[in-house]
Amino acid sequence: MRTEEKLYTLRYKKDDKSHLAIKDENTCLECTAKYGEPQPCVSICPANVFSWQNNRIVIGYENCVECGASRIACPYENIEWNYPRFGKGIALRYA
Amino acid sequence: MLDYDIVIVGAGPAGSAAALKAASEGKRVLVIERGPEPGSKNVSGAMIRKDYVTSIFGEDMPFERNVETIKVSLYNGNKPVNIEFHPDGLVTTGRLKFDKWLSSVSEKAGAMVIPKTTALKLNWENGIAKSLITDRGEVSAKSFVLAEGVNSLVSMESGIKGDWTPENSVQAVKMVYSIKKGDLNTLFNLPDDNTGMSWRMITSDPLVAGFMYTYKDSLAVGIGSPIKELVDRKIRPEKLLDDFLEMTGIAEKVKGYSLREYSAKIIPEGGFPDINVARGNVYLCGDAIGLVDPLTFDGITPAIASGTIAGEAAVHNYDKEIYRYNLMKDPEISKIAKERKLETDFMTGNKAGEYINMVSSMLEGWASGDLMGIRNTMVSNYRNLIPDLMTFVMRMR
Ligand SMILES: Cc1cc2nc3c(=O)[nH]c(=O)nc-3n(C[C@H](O)[C@H](O)[C@H](O)COP(=O)(O)OP(=O)(O)OC[C@H]3O[C@@H](n4cnc5c(N)ncnc54)[C@H](O)[C@@H]3O)c2cc1C
Repeated sequence: MRTEEKLYTLRYKKDDKSHLAIKDENTCLECTAKYGEPQPCVSICPANVFSWQNNRIVIGYENCVECGASRIACPYENIEWNYPRFGKGIALRYA
Repeated sequence: MLDYDIVIVGAGPAGSAAALKAASEGKRVLVIERGPEPGSKNVSGAMIRKDYVTSIFGEDMPFERNVETIKVSLYNGNKPVNIEFHPDGLVTTGRLKFDKWLSSVSEKAGAMVIPKTTALKLNWENGIAKSLITDRGEVSAKSFVLAEGVNSLVSMESGIKGDWTPENSVQAVKMVYSIKKGDLNTLFNLPDDNTGMSWRMITSDPLVAGFMYTYKDSLAVGIGSPIKELVDRKIRPEKLLDDFLEMTGIAEKVKGYSLREYSAKIIPEGGFPDINVARGNVYLCGDAIGLVDPLTFDGITPAIASGTIAGEAAVHNYDKEIYRYNLMKDPEISKIAKERKLETDFMTGNKAGEYINMVSSMLEGWASGDLMGIRNTMVSNYRNLIPDLMTFVMRMR
């Protein structure tokens, strides 16, 4: 089963502002040179939020399951990780 | 500005226990919860000790099934060694129903719970927190409890504690499959709709702790693995779960049933007692100070225990050393604190692999009558392994 199909099972309310951000894109280049692909954030994320496109990390924050792993996996503490505002983001029912 | 005696961040088990305690002592209590309702952001297995929970929150706890059998499988390669326990008082439960109930009990005691609101930071003056800023405004209080779970952003923002590291945290992913009661009973040999079984598995390479819990009309399965190991080996957690389901034969059992929900959450593996638990009039509890066993995932009991103690500390504005002492005195909490060293051993190097291989070969030897084999295993490992080994097996219950 593809990740996207798994994510379809989630109730979700989108915050129009991203709750995730890369602090400094140059750091991602350094990280890629050292760790290669997939980068730690790309490989630890269970929801395909991070992807490497045209030499930068692109964030699909609306996929986020709010687990917290990317913030910890990033060797450079380069991910600004917040919660979605006003009760938005995922709403689990059976977990 | 709103003003309360005590403001609590998080309506999980720790936060609701703190709220219940403080409200029962007559304080004006406000609980801030970021989810649309309590439990909607939370992930567990979950298997919990019903008697412990009801001893604090009272009767009528919602649950899925009574766990009459726990099977523990140690995988050494693809052939597991299985051990079965018949525990007392364990039940399975889903977090939305469970956390809503906990929160409603705290409300009945007088606490006010506001969902859909994210706490952002505390306002400090001379080491004392004056107010909490949320995305919907500011609220002042005499003391605060941060029961914000493993991603404890407010505690970190306040500099009370640092973040987890890849070495001391576990990434967990979970899936729940819809399976009709009758089918579920047949698949797992369950005599009726109220009886359930739990299955816990450990593999050594990579180090994975897995679980399978029967709910009423669904099956919860999940795995956890140290973040460091996953990142170093570029293993995707989701793929790990898929492979795990294949290896354990669960994939075969759930074939044809639909996936009801997919979720993920990290689990802290370090923390109390090697962590700051309070600053001034602000008290941390539950996952925020790492009170969970990363092998068995038991975190709800210590969350409730520490939340109750934090609620009491907030009522009396205890000094942080008194709060720490009270935490340490609690049997549920000291148990985790004592296992820390063992935990570090399991999670680093290949110690876990050694244990699992040793248990496997001992039990296989025993089963096949190879007593000399057991003797050799025991003698060669006596010093470093045997004492820890029994703890390891016993805590899997
Ligand atoms: C896959 C998995 C399986 C598990 N299985 C079990 C099990 O079988 N048995 C068991 O006992 N334990 C289990 N655990 C552990 C258990 O889930 C935790 O230990 C427990 O939930 C900790 O309770 P808590 O109240 O400290 O934190 P949480 O339950 O995480 O509650 C924190 C609450 O605070 C809210 N919050 C956080 N930040 C903010 C903010 N800034 N503003 C407002 N609200 C906020 C959250 O939305 C949440 O409701 C499991 C964990 C995982 C990940």
